[in-house]
Amino acid sequence: MRGVIFAFLAGGFITLQGVANSRISQDIGAWQAATVTQLTGFLMALLIVLIVRDGKWKRFKGVRPLYLTGGSFAAVVIYGNIFSIHKIGVTLSIAVILIAQLAITFLVDGRGWFGVMKQKMRLPQFIGIGMMIAGVVILKF
Amino acid sequence: MFLGLFFAVLAGLLVGLQNIFNAKVNEQAGTWATTALVLGLGFLASMTLGLVFEGIGLFTMDNMKTWHWFSGLIGVGVVVCLVQGTRLLGPTYAIAIVLTSQLGFALLWDSLGWFGLEKIPFTFQQLVGVLVIAGGVIVFKFSGTKEKKEIKQVQKSMKQYSLGR
Repeated sequence: MRGVIFAFLAGGFITLQGVANSRISQDIGAWQAATVTQLTGFLMALLIVLIVRDGKWKRFKGVRPLYLTGGSFAAVVIYGNIFSIHKIGVTLSIAVILIAQLAITFLVDGRGWFGVMKQKMRLPQFIGIGMMIAGVVILKF
Repeated sequence: MFLGLFFAVLAGLLVGLQNIFNAKVNEQAGTWATTALVLGLGFLASMTLGLVFEGIGLFTMDNMKTWHWFSGLIGVGVVVCLVQGTRLLGPTYAIAIVLTSQLGFALLWDSLGWFGLEKIPFTFQQLVGVLVIAGGVIVFKFSGTKEKKEIKQVQKSMKQYSLGR
């Protein structure tokens, strides 16, 4: 049950984050919003790293450099998120983002790219993606 | 409308890739070091792109309000809840709940129009749309679990077998 609550809250926080960014961008602009929120988030996470002091960050060296760059995508992600929430609303934005996200994960899993363990694509997964797209169509048209 | 959809798709694709990359870093460096790295790079990239598109104007923050500084902490809440949820439930179950809850909150937000966003009135059609998407997420996420259950059962019976000897 505790796990369910955590997962439920995580979903709530993710949506809240998009909404808060959109609101902030109305006051100071989208790039400014992305810059400020990530700066404060970074400082907080850094503080926690300093408190925890498990020295695990030293293992960055063992990670393929390409994978270390993932964080930089967030600039475009946040900008896109803010832009689409303003243009098409929170529900449709989140729905489309989820589908694109699951589709790329599905593709990477299916092809075994980036050293991910290759997984067979199954019929239920195609049905799942079909349902999600049908849901977006219902949502909008 | 079209541009809005385009940016939503782009954001989704990049989030998907980012999650894969971040998971790789996470395996080695742990949750907090990974979170710090991800947010730090996101900050640098946002500042760089902001400077490219808006020049020095990026730093005029006349309308900056105090609460803006704290919104970044939501990201820390996301990480804590995701990590704990995944630890307690396993990735498939946890992510299915996270995605469904995300959609539910989005619908709530559109209908309430909190935070000065444009209010999009709640309709039955929207609810059906969200439920169908959530159903799709569940079908998608749980389609692989049967196999895992079988493996678990085999492991369990092997354990019993070896303990019985």
